[in-house]
Amino acid sequence: MSHILVKGLHKQFAGKPPTTAIDDLDFAIEAGEFIVLLGPSGCGKTTTLRCLAGLETAGSGAISLGGTTWFDSSRRIALPPEKRNIGMVFQSYALWPHLTVRKNIGYPLQARGTKGPEAAKRVEEAAALVDCATLLDRYPAQLSGGQQQRVSLARSLVSRPDLILFDEPLSNLDAKLRDDVRAHLHELHARLKFTAVFVTHDQSEALALADRVAVMRAGRFEQIGTPFDVFERPATEYVADFIGLSNRLPAARIDGVTRVSGVEVEGLVLASAQHDEFVLRIRPEDLRLAPDRGSLSGLTTVAGTVIDSVFGGRHLDVYVAVGGLRLHARIEARTTDDWARALRGGEPVVVGFCPDFARAYGLENEGSRLITVQPLVATKD
Amino acid sequence: MATLTVSAGSRTRVALRRLGRQRLLALLFVIPLAFLVLMPIYRLQTEALSNGAQAYSTEFGRERMPGTILATIGLAVGSLAIAMAAGTLLAWSATLLPARLRWMRVLPILPIVLPFVAGVLGWTFLLSPRPGYLNALLRRLPWWDHLVAGPIDVYTLPWIVIITGLTLTAFVYLFLSAGFQNINSELIEAAHVSGSGALGVFFRVILPMIRPSLLYGGAVALLIGLGQFTAPLLLGRQSDVNVLTTEIYYALYNRTPQDPAAAAAIASPLLIVGVAVVLGQKYLLGNTSRFVTHGGRGFRPIQRKSKFAVGLILTYLLLSTVLPLVALAVVSLSPFWSRRIAPGAFSLDNFRELFATPVLVDAVWTSIWISFLAVAICLPIGFIASSLLLRAKQLKVTRAVLDLIITLPLGVPAVVFGVGFLLTYTRDPFFLYGTKWVLLVAYVTIMLPFTTRMHMSGMTALGDAYVEASRVAGAGVVTTNLRIVLPLLRSSVGGAAALMFVLLTHEFTASLLIRSAQTQVMGTVLYDTYANGNYPLVAAVAMIMTAVTFAGVVVALSIGGSKVFEDL
Ligand SMILES: Nc1ncnc2c1ncn2[C@@H]1O[C@H](COP(=O)(O)OP(=O)(O)O)[C@@H](O)[C@H]1O
Ligand SMILES: [Mg+2]
Repeated sequence: MSHILVKGLHKQFAGKPPTTAIDDLDFAIEAGEFIVLLGPSGCGKTTTLRCLAGLETAGSGAISLGGTTWFDSSRRIALPPEKRNIGMVFQSYALWPHLTVRKNIGYPLQARGTKGPEAAKRVEEAAALVDCATLLDRYPAQLSGGQQQRVSLARSLVSRPDLILFDEPLSNLDAKLRDDVRAHLHELHARLKFTAVFVTHDQSEALALADRVAVMRAGRFEQIGTPFDVFERPATEYVADFIGLSNRLPAARIDGVTRVSGVEVEGLVLASAQHDEFVLRIRPEDLRLAPDRGSLSGLTTVAGTVIDSVFGGRHLDVYVAVGGLRLHARIEARTTDDWARALRGGEPVVVGFCPDFARAYGLENEGSRLITVQPLVATKD
Repeated sequence: MATLTVSAGSRTRVALRRLGRQRLLALLFVIPLAFLVLMPIYRLQTEALSNGAQAYSTEFGRERMPGTILATIGLAVGSLAIAMAAGTLLAWSATLLPARLRWMRVLPILPIVLPFVAGVLGWTFLLSPRPGYLNALLRRLPWWDHLVAGPIDVYTLPWIVIITGLTLTAFVYLFLSAGFQNINSELIEAAHVSGSGALGVFFRVILPMIRPSLLYGGAVALLIGLGQFTAPLLLGRQSDVNVLTTEIYYALYNRTPQDPAAAAAIASPLLIVGVAVVLGQKYLLGNTSRFVTHGGRGFRPIQRKSKFAVGLILTYLLLSTVLPLVALAVVSLSPFWSRRIAPGAFSLDNFRELFATPVLVDAVWTSIWISFLAVAICLPIGFIASSLLLRAKQLKVTRAVLDLIITLPLGVPAVVFGVGFLLTYTRDPFFLYGTKWVLLVAYVTIMLPFTTRMHMSGMTALGDAYVEASRVAGAGVVTTNLRIVLPLLRSSVGGAAALMFVLLTHEFTASLLIRSAQTQVMGTVLYDTYANGNYPLVAAVAMIMTAVTFAGVVVALSIGGSKVFEDL
């Protein structure tokens, strides 16, 4: 049996017009699993999390943990947050400023009736887990952002809750610290195996932490799967775009010729058995550039014109016009020869990519789903 | 750890049905408040409509009524105009203050917390035609040296308007300077950078952004001006200047027998206009979020004219506070009031007499402990009311009703409320007249909007995260409030509570209507002493009132900082 079961969860906010924040969500979370809700701002991640916490009451649906019903609109059951045995890490950390770190961490224990030496021991343990053992008698205002973050984590862990909720907890940290905390969190989860739902809009965070990633779009799950799945086989164009396949090449095969935005595709030409028209998605890192097709043999190629080239330290960002499209190629600066470094706007260039790295999708009216395309025999060469 | 299971079905029956219990508790809270606020208004209306609404035609048919109404409008509009102009100018100059003089921003607020009766008395001592100190000084000027009285007569309508306007300025200033503080300086700089000059920035960026504060400050000033009682009562009698509020008072205390129907009828227009203004501004400011500008540094104009600013603020302080207080002090130390100040004759005799008069001593104590009790009652009421208004999202109807009940007293002038209290508590089921409890009930009712507002702003400033973190950590509503919300609110609420205490100790208007011979407070004995013409003793009472006020303000500032004034 699943640990947590969510069925038909639906939440609408009143207003003109009303916003549907979450739209008939169904999912299950296994014990010890780390689920990440990934999506752009406004897609309903926080609302989902708050419904799980009981801070928000959904309009319809049901949530249960093991045999306990947390929420069931048809039976008019809604357990308040304090009865759900959960922990939560807030984006702002929400450490109570008038309590010391020790009291902050001890609060969930006291609220749930654990007192005395047992509670004191657990507070020390939790603080040690997050490297905060020396901060116990300070007040939150005397801590740095990263330290507050860790205390907040200790507070959510201390009472060994059935579920821990994270609402973009790393977004207020600077980039370097964010990587450290992320690694630390991953390690902690591996050791303690708590069940977690973690909300973020950062794909690398999601891939690093998740057992399973749920990509959200307008209150629904667009795809749920392992990080590998989501990364390698984005189910829809929306997921592909969000996960970094940001170059979009609408392709059409007419009279045996495949064109991308009107420009003929050469080299390894791609075609689909069922679809005459489809959309290719590819990461900027997977595009290659060359002065002529000769140096890109074995790849799929199209001709274009350089729009601009931007130096980015370890890489070069080159923007290329292909027909009406604007493609973004990111090439490693160290391996780039002088030719690439000297690229200027207006110069002709050939863009190529390995078909294995591209993903193809059906058209929008068919739901932009992942389809398979095969390279045909090379033409003209 | 995550596999720890909750015994199945144990508490699952804690259901949405809880809502029913919540609603019941909320109603138990709202109904008594509704009684407090609505009953006086209801009694007032039934009284006015008794005898086939006879009182309306009698009262509004009187020959002097048109003049009274004109004077009322003149007082309201005139003092509003003065207050808006001077208040805007002061608020603007407060933004020009250099950093080390920033503390001066609190000075123009003083007239709000100082007892207005004391101020009016002070101005009487300064500007009464014959013995007024300032008049005596002005008569030294060559072109006035032939006069025996004047040149200024404080007992006329224009001067009643000016003195009222001076005090209302403080209210407009309060709201506008809060408005200026909320403007992010980068918005102003952006306008300058986009090519607007100082005037362009003021009219196209600043003015539109402070519109809600202007509107709110203006509405408050208009209501106070319309319901103004103290100044016309103390000053208007001599030259027969009457406004609706004084007519209400005279209908009760200048006619035998008392004519409550007449008082209620005269109160009607004030009540209607007051409630309309309150509801109107609530409607107009319904969605204020688009005016909120978050983050960034507070508003700082580009040019600094700090000398001008300091001069303006000090001038206002002198006129509104220092001069009248000095006059009061002088009279309170003198054996009698004459145009010549004789420091050699100064003594504390008046204060000795005051403390030897049991009625006066009693009144001081009554003021202090009734105000204290009222604050003690108002604090939990405000806490619960604002929790309901901010957090009980499911109880839509209850919240709307509560909101209305809490807001209404703002629109009911104290005189009108006073008549309503009198009508309500001189009959069963709550016969309280003649006891001190009637004062307590009245004070609590009057303070409902303030206590709720200040709790709401405190809670809003706290945000939801602290509360939610506590709930998620396993603490229920009660524990969360006790261990998280109350401790965090302590400083803001503590300061505001001291302020509330101060405002109540010098409550004058409602007290004067509901007092009886046995229940006197500082304001009412001050009026009686004034009516008897014992000016030095009056001045001594006013000085005591001022001293109590100062003590309270110091406490308020030390607990809450200068932010305590922002909730008014
Ligand atoms: N309290 C609220 N009232 C009205 N609308 C809300 C409220 N909270 C969220 N929304 C709306 O619901 C949608 C989802 O919001 P949210 O769950 O916060 O998104 P996310 O966390 O993914 O950024 C948004 O369109 C947001 O505007
Ligand atoms: Mg969010």
